[in-house]
Amino acid sequence: MLVLSRRPGETLAIGDDIVVTVVSVSGNQIKIGITAPREVRVLRGEIYQGLREENRAAANVADSGRKLEDALKQFRGKTAEESNG
Amino acid sequence: MASSTAAAMAGALTALQPLNKEFVFPVGLLGFPDYQRYQLEPFEPGDGSESPFLLLSSVGQEVVFPLIHPLSLALDYHFPASPELLAILKAQSVKDLVPLLIVTVREKLQEITVNLQGPVILHPKTCLGAQLVLEDRPLRYPLLKPATA
Repeated sequence: MLVLSRRPGETLAIGDDIVVTVVSVSGNQIKIGITAPREVRVLRGEIYQGLREENRAAANVADSGRKLEDALKQFRGKTAEESNG
Repeated sequence: MASSTAAAMAGALTALQPLNKEFVFPVGLLGFPDYQRYQLEPFEPGDGSESPFLLLSSVGQEVVFPLIHPLSLALDYHFPASPELLAILKAQSVKDLVPLLIVTVREKLQEITVNLQGPVILHPKTCLGAQLVLEDRPLRYPLLKPATA
């Protein structure tokens, strides 16, 4: 990993299109500004990882068709209960 | 109440008709940047009945995402349309867009969840799609809520 020291107000350029600015430092919190093309997704790391794992879990289910059918039966049961109650 | 929800859902899904349609995701889905072309089709149970589930399959069938419309869960699901999202989908207004939720099928039925944090947003007119990220929404919302006591 490349490690660089920067002061508030200074920037990093990543390629031709992305600029990262250190906006301010206060205690253990750093504010960072990012300018990037709209097709480049900028997310907090933990949000990105959570969604990536959830997508993988959703896409990688063997026999998901049968499980969806089972879920559907219960789902219908639940919907029927709600409309009766 | 139930019938107005059904009517709203019919309206929302009408925008997606016909359902067997190819959508291009210019930015891909998170973790799947290499897959940009997907086929949207209804999930048809073996008994031929109708189901609220849809399948979003990459064109080579390498990945398949089960989806459900929020109204099928009686969720009043709104999302902000940033200028970036509208530009990626070549949309004029959020009204043109249809949100669908990814279903994570798990071993136990009670553990099946839908992802409210990363909805799939489709623009039926341009056949473009994107996965939106809404940080403050739950990643795992139960598909089947436990019966209330």
